[in-house]
Amino acid sequence: MDMRQMISSRSGPRIGVTYQVALFMLLVFLVVLFGILQPVFFSPDVLFNVTAIIGEIGIMALGMTFIITTGGIDLSVGYNLQLCAIVFGSVYAKTHSVAEAAALAVLCGTACGFLNGVIISRTKIPPLVTTLATLNLFRGISMIVAGSETYSGFPEGFKSISSTFLFDIVPIQFLYLLALFIVFNLYYTRGTLGRNLKGIGFNEKVLVFSGINTRRSLLFIYTLCGFMCSLAALIYLGRLSAATTSMGNDLNLQVITAVVLGGTSIMGGIGSVSGTFIGTLIIGVLRKGFTLLNFSGNIFNFTLGLILIVALIVFALLEERKKNAGRSGLT
Amino acid sequence: MKQKRVVTREFILGLIVLAFLGFMALTTNFSSRNGLFSMMLDVSPTIVGAIAMSLVIFTGNIDISAGTILGFVSFTAGELAVYGVPMILFVPAGILVGMLLAGLNGWITVTFKVPSIVVTLAMNMVHLGFYATFLRNSGWIENLGDNFTWFGRGMFFGVVPYIFIVSIVVAALFIFIMKYFRFGKALYAVGGNRQAAIYAGINPDSTVIKVYLVEGLLLGIAGLLKAVTRSDVLPSSFQGREMTFIAAAVVGGVNIMGGSGRLIGAVFGALLVYLLSTVMIYMGFQDYYQFALQGVIILIAVFITVTDFSAFRKKLDKTGPAQGES
Repeated sequence: MDMRQMISSRSGPRIGVTYQVALFMLLVFLVVLFGILQPVFFSPDVLFNVTAIIGEIGIMALGMTFIITTGGIDLSVGYNLQLCAIVFGSVYAKTHSVAEAAALAVLCGTACGFLNGVIISRTKIPPLVTTLATLNLFRGISMIVAGSETYSGFPEGFKSISSTFLFDIVPIQFLYLLALFIVFNLYYTRGTLGRNLKGIGFNEKVLVFSGINTRRSLLFIYTLCGFMCSLAALIYLGRLSAATTSMGNDLNLQVITAVVLGGTSIMGGIGSVSGTFIGTLIIGVLRKGFTLLNFSGNIFNFTLGLILIVALIVFALLEERKKNAGRSGLT
Repeated sequence: MKQKRVVTREFILGLIVLAFLGFMALTTNFSSRNGLFSMMLDVSPTIVGAIAMSLVIFTGNIDISAGTILGFVSFTAGELAVYGVPMILFVPAGILVGMLLAGLNGWITVTFKVPSIVVTLAMNMVHLGFYATFLRNSGWIENLGDNFTWFGRGMFFGVVPYIFIVSIVVAALFIFIMKYFRFGKALYAVGGNRQAAIYAGINPDSTVIKVYLVEGLLLGIAGLLKAVTRSDVLPSSFQGREMTFIAAAVVGGVNIMGGSGRLIGAVFGALLVYLLSTVMIYMGFQDYYQFALQGVIILIAVFITVTDFSAFRKKLDKTGPAQGES
């Protein structure tokens, strides 16, 4: 059987759908739960606000889904976002030109992603270690650039990129996210790249022997993830309107949790962009719900860490059961 | 016949550390009593922590929550000391907390077959959230009395701090264990080739859990060594220490993929990382340059250990008669 069949049967549609249905039910359950605890949660304003606060996480999670599908990981996304925001802030403070600042921020994010990609695809250093090291590098650079300064006072025109509402209710970030989601999902499910990524996560050697340039795919997805980080930084800045060295610190975990929760296997080879989308929504609902219940951000992070561990365990157990149920899908 | 090599990687690293020390002694006022003393104080927990991290890395795993485990250890010890518990009790309590937390990491990693880096990354967040949510004042304890700090401030002959002696003893003990005990060899075997380790009669799962427990023990010691030098404890201040440990380990030649490396290297690595950051402080760079520096150091060190330079070496050998490794 050919590679394509093998991969598609491994992430068989049946199991994928049931997992996603379960995930969706979890989302509905959370919405209802928070709605009962805090009735204001059901108001359209609050529900749409959830879709506004997940903009940056969702965008980075799309890039991260590609990476985790290959069995890699990018731990540096949060600090990449921070560095982009700092670059934007410092350039804007000097030139007062949004276009220049935004262009440099995007360039910086893409370059950071490219650095990760080059190291991971050209050397034998594992992605975990590479991005753990570049995480510190990015963090250090943004601290060196910014010191303890806070950049703010961005013009209204810039802020409107993430404070505009369609029909006065749908936040515009959500539309960006939807558009990107559709593109990524098509790329992932219909394109050659998506299939290659699953192949790399499944067995990279086989792909190399079939003449596929896996290095180029890897370089591309890490660069893409860096680019997504810079987009996320701009949207985040539009919403927060201040760039500091404390922003983005805890986004790493939220992004990884969204992807893993969405059913992308941390071991690679299996994944789903739509799952990531639902995972992102769940995280948004949790964050909003916790805010409404007056829980601190620390409780949210604590819960998120637990959720990530539980999601990893549940997914590992599901995999185990699938393996034990016989390899009928593979033969 | 294989003759024993004298000029090992670790030997060269040791020379570099010595050269560095000499250089700093000549060019700065580092050699003053203060400089050396603060080096011994600061580097002791790093040495023990680097050994702990190296043991885990030998098996092909890693622990990103090492820094926050240190926070729990020091909080436990500090909190007990506030209530007047003597050192003979709060030390084992702190070590026990370290072993429990690290053991949990190991257990989850092994039982559910999930990569340790993601588990411990999530744990890192859980720990930080725990401090801020459930501990009074985020776990900040101040005005710790002499019953807590006497050990950290005590020294032999007025120059060598007790805690430095402890870290050297721990290092020597574990170098000995790695050399002469089955456990030490099992770590390399599991990290180097899991399947071969199974055929050799080693149970990889229990080895990994054991190594995390040992790591927890060492982290307990490291956390206490750090905590007793100060009269206050702030658990969240230990966040990020794991990066120093990882940097020390990989600079010392511990292969991040597991299976090779030596503890003496990790000890030299700890010294070298400390000296590098001290040099930067002497040169007037601010504290946060160290984040960037550590990132770069880790990348370079890992690149050197994981890259196969044999093709390059062959090219060099072609110029002279072949110097086989026989």
